[in-house]
Amino acid sequence: MEVMLTVEGLEKSFKNKKALKGITFEVRKGEIMAILGPNGAGKSTTIRNIMGIMYPDKGSITFHNHQGKEIPRHKIGYLPEERGLYKNVKVMDILLYLADLKDYPLDKAKERILMYLKKFDLEGKDKVSIDELSKGMGQKVQFIGSILHEPELLILDEPFSGLDPVSQELFKDEIRNLADNGTAILLSSHQMNLVEEMCDRLFMIQNGQKVIYGTLDEVKTKYANFKCTIRGKNSLQILESIPKVGRVEQKEESAVLFLEQDVDPTSWLKDLPSNVVVQELKMNRISLHEIFIDIATNNNLIQEAGELDA
Amino acid sequence: MRNSMKVAKWEIKRNLKNKSFVIGLFLTPILILGFGFLGSLFGSDDEPSETTVFVNDQLEIFDMLAETVDQYELGWELQQTDLTEGDIHDELENNEDTAYIFLTPEALESGVIPVYTTDEIDSGFSSQVQLLTGPLQQIRIAQLDLTEEELAIISSNVVFEETSAEDYVAEESVSLASPLEKLVPGIFAGIILFAIVVTGMMIFQSASQEKKDKIAEIILSSVTPGELMNGKIIGYFVLGLIQVAVLLIFVVPFAATKIDEPIIEYLFVPETLLLVFIAILGYLLFAAIFVGIGATMADMTTSGNFQGLVMMLPFLSFVLMAPVLSNPSGMVAKVASYVPFTSPGVLIMRLTALDEWPWVEIIIAIVVLVISILLFMKLAGKIFKVGILMYGKNATPGEIWKWIRS
Repeated sequence: MEVMLTVEGLEKSFKNKKALKGITFEVRKGEIMAILGPNGAGKSTTIRNIMGIMYPDKGSITFHNHQGKEIPRHKIGYLPEERGLYKNVKVMDILLYLADLKDYPLDKAKERILMYLKKFDLEGKDKVSIDELSKGMGQKVQFIGSILHEPELLILDEPFSGLDPVSQELFKDEIRNLADNGTAILLSSHQMNLVEEMCDRLFMIQNGQKVIYGTLDEVKTKYANFKCTIRGKNSLQILESIPKVGRVEQKEESAVLFLEQDVDPTSWLKDLPSNVVVQELKMNRISLHEIFIDIATNNNLIQEAGELDA
Repeated sequence: MRNSMKVAKWEIKRNLKNKSFVIGLFLTPILILGFGFLGSLFGSDDEPSETTVFVNDQLEIFDMLAETVDQYELGWELQQTDLTEGDIHDELENNEDTAYIFLTPEALESGVIPVYTTDEIDSGFSSQVQLLTGPLQQIRIAQLDLTEEELAIISSNVVFEETSAEDYVAEESVSLASPLEKLVPGIFAGIILFAIVVTGMMIFQSASQEKKDKIAEIILSSVTPGELMNGKIIGYFVLGLIQVAVLLIFVVPFAATKIDEPIIEYLFVPETLLLVFIAILGYLLFAAIFVGIGATMADMTTSGNFQGLVMMLPFLSFVLMAPVLSNPSGMVAKVASYVPFTSPGVLIMRLTALDEWPWVEIIIAIVVLVISILLFMKLAGKIFKVGILMYGKNATPGEIWKWIRS
């Protein structure tokens, strides 16, 4: 796949604190690349450096489809984390202004605005003033503003924060749709379940450093061991005595068994002792969410994996 | 530059669609006219009402008196009466603003004409009535049977004619020119400076609103901070000019009907160009300062002393108004012309008050002004770039200083 954006060795300090310590990744055409990390990890700082809103102390940012040193602003769509809209203007006016700033033809922009308003359940709101919109509606308008000019690279900083599940689904579908049509998408989030469902590759960052970088599958096979959830009344002892079980978390009638890394799920299931009571059994990999929480709380899970990997 | 124009166009459009801006746009001239109208309302109250003057004319010179009254526009209602001095007591008790003059041969001979007035009488009456002494004096002289030459000598007064050295050199000076002729371009430039500086203060709000609404980052993904700043300065400049235009459309015809002078003619003189140029320089200076300071503040209501002080800068020239106007070539005026914050206002005042323009001073002052504009634009650009993206708190002077140095 064609690489659209390369970030290499990005470093940035605020006062005496180093916010970014050598961030390197790339974004390719038609893929969704996610930057994940807890609050204050450096996600927004990375994105602002890419957008030229801040300047890195060290490192380089390259837009491949573009000659010259400036940032190709017209080809980028950007939804910042700190976002808002002018209060007392009409939806249509502000969207046309944003399109005009991107040098997008206005008649075409008008068509697309109406199309997207309809898509996002905002039909007929084009002449409504922004301050009459709810927060969620406002966010939809901002999102439309960022994709209106058919950008080649779309950068979304926490696009799902503050959205209800229905709107989240809408956004997710549209982002996927754009990627399928060839847009390179870089999104940051800490809502792991959503990211897990949609991203192709991910870059996990903590304290301004890379923790994990790779495709979702790679990451999962590399870091996410299997876990087995069993519903049924079992004593902790029995469960812990099952071979290749690392850790057991028991809650009332259900228990989660975290398996060791080199477990082959089928043979492990075959070897399950017959005295284990099974009402229900679920076998899956540890989710991104769990990896993420482990990283954020500096738990041992990822370190174990890291050590084994080393 | 293209992006700056887009931002400017947007700011203009956004404000013109904003109800409170439009109301303000028309309220300003209406307020000015309103005060003018109120003034003339009070003024007309003070105008003297007609004094009724009854004349018991036994000398048969009533026509001559009437002529004199007309000539001096005394505003009397002159009437003949047959009432004698004894009869008028009741009349005087029951009337207002009325006077009785008794022209009898005895009175003429003695030179003392009895005049009776009501308690309430126009304050100017006693001096006005003295104007009638002229024709009466002539009648007395005429009774002396003098030759025409003698008559002419007696009836002409002796006067002192003064000629000062200055007038002597330039005899045909501008002493005949109306004071308005010099004032009009100055007032015009003053209005422009005031209107666009006031509109310029909206830049300040606009920049801090941008932060509050958190739209700055979205806009900055399309334009550079410099373009955004310049766009705002240009946009509000045009809005200021619109305000000036609306003001002039309302005020000039009104003033033209009220004041009996060719105001429009006074306005279109070369002096106006320079004054307006100075006013525009003044706007650019304050616009740069406001846009920079606005970017450091998230909220008007929590502005610190520092920001408050900066906001007061344009009004410094108003403080200096009295000393500058009383002595346009004085020390205060000269120094203030070289201080960039006061120079636009003070220059306009001085040039309006002075007959001869001190060109060297003007040129130095303008050069100082232009250099400070360039400097402040550069500083504002630095402050704006960092400030506009700093959310949630106002910047301290220390922080601002750090941005400038970086």
